[in-house]
Formats: sequence, structure tokens, C-alpha cells
Amino acid sequence: MASHATTEHTLAPGEIAKPNTGWIWKTFFVLVGITAIEFVFVFLMHPSTLRNSIFIVLTIMKAFFIVAEFMHLKHETKGLIWTILIPVALLVWLLVALITEGSFIGEVLQNMFK
Amino acid sequence: MAQSTTLQSPTAPATQDAPRTGNWDGGNEPFKASYGKLMMWFFLLSDAFTFAAFLTTYGMIRHKHEVFTGEAKEFVFSTRWWPIPDHVFNAFPGLGHANVPLGFVALMTMILIFSSVTMVLAVEAGHRMDKADVQKWLLWTILFGSTFLLSQAWEWSHFIHGTPEGTMMADGTVFHGANLAMNQYGPVLFADLFFFITGFHGTHVFSGVCLLIWCFIATTNGTFEKRGHYEMVEKIGLYWHFVDLVWVFVFTFFYLV
Repeated sequence: MASHATTEHTLAPGEIAKPNTGWIWKTFFVLVGITAIEFVFVFLMHPSTLRNSIFIVLTIMKAFFIVAEFMHLKHETKGLIWTILIPVALLVWLLVALITEGSFIGEVLQNMFK
Repeated sequence: MAQSTTLQSPTAPATQDAPRTGNWDGGNEPFKASYGKLMMWFFLLSDAFTFAAFLTTYGMIRHKHEVFTGEAKEFVFSTRWWPIPDHVFNAFPGLGHANVPLGFVALMTMILIFSSVTMVLAVEAGHRMDKADVQKWLLWTILFGSTFLLSQAWEWSHFIHGTPEGTMMADGTVFHGANLAMNQYGPVLFADLFFFITGFHGTHVFSGVCLLIWCFIATTNGTFEKRGHYEMVEKIGLYWHFVDLVWVFVFTFFYLV
């Protein structure tokens, strides 16, 4: 089990190691910061494809920090990392494909009687 | 074991009870992760498929609908086009009908992110076998998780009851709020997707809170202390972070975009 905590001295029985929580709070402030940036864009930018792309990039950044640090995936073996990432990458492909399809269906329906 | 070895002939296998540790004997942990953690990862992957199906459906249906092209200030609710989220989700508890675009959902997001932090602190305390700290952080996580659930209940209630203005429907009557067949905000499917996506996420949070309460009781009873490790906290932690992760996506695709 990979662990962040590295204790220099061996513990006596019953003794409890000091908390090592710096990395947790660092990740927390990164997540809060990214959410704050998202809100800045909501109010300062008009809705556009560019704004949506910014949101998606920021969301993926947040997802990275949650999965890599909080869920500890960054510190697991390469095999496990790929086992999780490859199916998710295929899901993103499906998402893009079906959204494109949705735009096309909408276009057909809206122009049907024109 | 010295006794038994003396009884055996030199050609017989040393002992039948010794654990077999070969690659194909189940002696290895694939990916150096324990069985429970690995299965939790695979469960979460399959759960991600479910949520991705929801979000894919949302994306496809949304792109199928017309987009409001005018100025954001002149936006009005209509079944013709998809609503702009900050015009729908702009209420805050205790502020009546004041316009606070996305204010409450921002607070809910913060609560959930914070619950993720207290969860990871509980896992960290578990690594150190610090029972008191595990209890403390589990309680905080339960508190924030429950607060999120209550916030979502309020959000749903407000969405269902709607605004006093309402929206004129095709038959000339004014409709307030939303149900599965009709809503004042936009196309029928907008409300349906809101109920299903946030409802499914809320159910996950609820299950998570139940698991955490059970985990807190087990910690207090010293179950994990006796077992020698707090891996259960870690596994429930994985689930809890996943729920937070799903919210990050729901937040972007339902409220921001």
C-alpha cells in the first residue's frame, strides 16, 4: 500500500504518528481555486463555445486532482491507472459522438418544414 | 511445524497447509491493490458508465433543442428553447425571490468538496491507526454529506414549486414550477433530466452517508482496530470521492454550460 506518510522514527507500541495533512489541504485549495475561476467565467464572459470549452478543461483539471490525490490513483501501479483511464477515455468518445448526433437531429427537426 | 516435517518422507510435499503464493495460486495481489479496493475501483468504473449515460443523454437532448440566441438579459422561459441555467437556479434559502444566480449551487459544491477533504483526512488517520481522529473526521464527513442532502432537498423543493411569475403554457394557463410532464423553465425534458441526474446523484450521496454512519459505528466499536487496519474507511472513501467527482461533472454540465 503506497502511502504519503513517511515516519522517520519507529513508533513505540500504542504511539500514534503525527498527522501528515499538508498535501490534503493543498489539493483542497486547488479545487476551491478552480471552482472560483469557473464562477469568474460565468459572470464575466458571454456564453459561447469558447466559454464551454474553458469549463470542460477546468472540470477535467478538478477531476484529475480528485482522482489522482484524493482517490490516490496517481500512487497506484501503472496497470491499475490504465485499467481505469482507458474505459473512461472511450466514454468521452461516446459523449462527443452522441452530442454531435444530437446537434444533427436538432437541425433536421428544426428545418423539417422550412 | 517441526513435528510434522519429521513425519514426512523426503519426497513428499513439505506441507499441504502452507499458503501457496505463486502467480496463479491467488497469492498475488493484482496491481498491488487489495481485493476490496480493486473491486471498489471496478464498481466505480461501472457506476461511471451509468452517470456517463445520463450526461450523454443530457448532451444529446440539449443539442437537439433550440438555443436562445438573444441577449442574456432578455431571456424568458419558453418551451421553445433550452433555459439558461443561471436564470433557473438563482434562488437562495432565506432570501425569498432575490436573484442570486448559481449562489446556492456554489455553496453546495463547496460543502461537497469540503466533505471530500474530511473524508481523506479520515483515511489518513486510518493509516496512522488513530481511532479518535478517524471518528472525528468521519463525523465531519457525515455532517457535510447530510448538509448537502438537505440543500438538495431545498433545491428540489424550489424547482418543483417554481416562481410566482410562472410561464404561460400553450393552452393559455400559467404554470408554476415543474413536474415530469410540465415545467415553467423550458422543454419537458429539461426538468426530467434535472430530476433524474441530480436525483441519481443524491441517491448516491444518501448511500454514502449510510455507509459512513455504519463505518463510524464500526470504528467506535473498535472493529477496525481489532482487524489491524482501516481499509474499510479507505474503500468507503473511494466511493465518497467518486460521488464528489460526479458532482463536479453534474455541476459543469447542468449548471455552468
